[in-house]
Amino acid sequence: MEPIIETKNLRVEFRAQNSGQAKKVAVKDLNLSIRAGEVFGFLGPNGAGKTTTMNVLLGFVNATSGAAFLFGVDVREPIARQRIGYLPELTYYYKFLTAEELLRFYARIFGIPRAEADRRIDHLLKLVELESARKRPIKTYSKGMQQRVGLAQALINNPDLLILDEPTSGLDPLGRMKVREIIQRLKNEGKTVFFSSHELGEVETVCDRVAIIHQGELKVEGRVADLIEKYQANLEKIFLNIIGYEPQLSA
Amino acid sequence: MKRFAPYLVLLLLLAACFSLATVLQERSASWSKRGASDNVLNVLLGDGRRLFANHFFVQADISFHSGYYPSIFDQASRPKDTSHMTAKEGEPAEEEHEKQMNFLGPPRDWIERFGRHFIITEHTHLEGHKESEILPWLKLAAELDPQKIETYTVAAYWLRDLGKIKEAERFLREGLLNNPDSYDILFDLGRLYYESNHDAARARKIWDLALRRWSEQEAANKKPDLLKLDDIAVNLSHLEQTEGNLARAVQLLELAKKASPHPDVLQQQIAELKQKLATRAPAAAPKAP
Amino acid sequence: MNTVSALAGVVIKELYRRKDFYVLFFLTAVITLVMGSVSFFHDAKIVRYVKEIALLLIWVSALVIAIGTTARQIPAERESRTIFPLLAKPVTRWQVILGKFAGCWLACGLALIVFYLFFGVVSGSREHHWPLLNFCQALWLQWVMLGVVVAFVLLGSVVFAAPSSNATISFIVVLGILVLGRYLNQVALQQPEPLCAVIYGLYFLIPHLEWFDVRDLIIYDQHLVGWVDCGLATLYAVLYMAVFLVGAWLVFRRKPLNL
Repeated sequence: MEPIIETKNLRVEFRAQNSGQAKKVAVKDLNLSIRAGEVFGFLGPNGAGKTTTMNVLLGFVNATSGAAFLFGVDVREPIARQRIGYLPELTYYYKFLTAEELLRFYARIFGIPRAEADRRIDHLLKLVELESARKRPIKTYSKGMQQRVGLAQALINNPDLLILDEPTSGLDPLGRMKVREIIQRLKNEGKTVFFSSHELGEVETVCDRVAIIHQGELKVEGRVADLIEKYQANLEKIFLNIIGYEPQLSA
Repeated sequence: MKRFAPYLVLLLLLAACFSLATVLQERSASWSKRGASDNVLNVLLGDGRRLFANHFFVQADISFHSGYYPSIFDQASRPKDTSHMTAKEGEPAEEEHEKQMNFLGPPRDWIERFGRHFIITEHTHLEGHKESEILPWLKLAAELDPQKIETYTVAAYWLRDLGKIKEAERFLREGLLNNPDSYDILFDLGRLYYESNHDAARARKIWDLALRRWSEQEAANKKPDLLKLDDIAVNLSHLEQTEGNLARAVQLLELAKKASPHPDVLQQQIAELKQKLATRAPAAAPKAP
Repeated sequence: MNTVSALAGVVIKELYRRKDFYVLFFLTAVITLVMGSVSFFHDAKIVRYVKEIALLLIWVSALVIAIGTTARQIPAERESRTIFPLLAKPVTRWQVILGKFAGCWLACGLALIVFYLFFGVVSGSREHHWPLLNFCQALWLQWVMLGVVVAFVLLGSVVFAAPSSNATISFIVVLGILVLGRYLNQVALQQPEPLCAVIYGLYFLIPHLEWFDVRDLIIYDQHLVGWVDCGLATLYAVLYMAVFLVGAWLVFRRKPLNL
């Protein structure tokens, strides 16, 4: 079966800010393959290349070399994003729109018919518990509410692939639990979830497979259970070891 | 006490400011007249208001020409004076002006040719009571620069032409208040009294005053305003003729002859008047001026 | 088209939810009504100065709305990061450019309709005469001109990072063209070579926005512009809009957007 997300020798280089410096390689020959129905955790320290990889998958940045595909379609084609939902880490939406208007706007972009859009908006606002605030402009929302609006807009097109960037960042424990529940529900529906997070405990609980990237290179990839067994340690210790902050563990 | 300390300091500062202001009030008058002026526009714009006044005066001229007017790039074609604004069709000033206003010429390229479809390309003057459209601009120009004489004279001309005699008189008197020595405004005021109000006595007084003012200001000039002297003297002479004061009329025409561009015409009039004087009965006494 | 119209709809919503338009309309209305209420020499029939002031204010306000609204579209999206959830949808960068352009241009059109309705009421109440066809033609030409301005500013917004610098430069350029565009050929002919060639080249290159300023025809109750000329001017404007929009797309499509 065709992978949902696939990168082949993906390389992203940025020109140096100053003329004296060498160019910066953000992603080095990354090969990833994520299958349908997986919850995949994409981990790494700050500056590892996670965000750059996501930028390429979402079409914000062009790869220097190599290729990336979503549902077998080159990421440079807009149609590749027809079946994805994306929740950015920092959730900023048009502040002058209400939650309902925002969702309706995105529904129109996906070409969802009016009646179906109305039904989905009602369902999603109930799901993220924003029904009472649907007519209020987003500028009046708290951070948590904005995060929930973000989740709603990521789900408006009933995506087969959800790309989440730090989905629980800034949420209280209740909010985090709700996000985990939503991810689990999506998994049960056969959706694929690809997310980056620094909350390793959460990743260990939710993810089927993880990849750890450091200095642009893929260091380790595999099933969470397999990695724990292999390194005889939890995910946090494995992570620290990979990035060189722990003594060697027995393999 | 500590709680009120900031408020007390504030009060002290306010008191100090107030005291300083009373001391500086008198001294500041010698620094700048602008701040002491009671005219808001003078305070805001200073002498820059004259630029705006000039702009509004030109705007009146543009309005008079219904938008057909040379730009600053056609400076050579811009009217040199405002005589066209008070000249009637057929007069020499009007004909000279007509030639001047033919500034457009053939288009230099296709862009200019096409662009002429969107602008006014015909030289016209306002007529048929539409001349009143220039009055707001002249009023604004006068507000901004009360010392610009021609604003008053042009406006008064058209106000009289539109039958607004009282408004014309009021405006000219306003101009006179701001320019008490202006013989131009006095002359126009005299015309108003003579031609519109038919008040010869008043007109005579005003024109006499205009002549005196002209002598005071222009006589010593290397290039005196002879046209205005000609205007005042000829009109006053005509008034005296109508009132029967032929001797004075002749005197005035002699004065006008020195300034007139057509002395031979005036000489002929003088000769006719002298003949009338000679044939008049000695017993007939002239009306007292 | 769905995407473009959805984007345009958001731009229009933003315009009427921000205060700019209402402030400008209020200022225009107040200044016009105050000037119109002044009696000059007890003549109630004087109307041209009111029309002149009102139309000048309408032109200034429309330019402020056009340039101000357009200059902040894409930079604000980048700064507020709303561009990321947008481009994560199946939206091309060309659709973003087109959608923003359509929204800003339509918003200008709506603003112009309100302004011209007000103008029609004020001038008609004095003149007791409504040359509707002239008003419609003036509105159309001004709207088409604003389309060129919006496209130009949109190009500037992908070139300059700061909306303020884009807005300032755009204002200067647009005002320069409106005031001096017609006379550049005269200025060119007065210069020595090679300056003459440079200025004349510029004269042919710039969009002649001054063609669309037919205020004088309205103020001085002149004839309509011929409909063929109006159509040709519209086509000319559409071509320039296309040039600027394609230019904006060419620049925007290469810009990396980093999260």
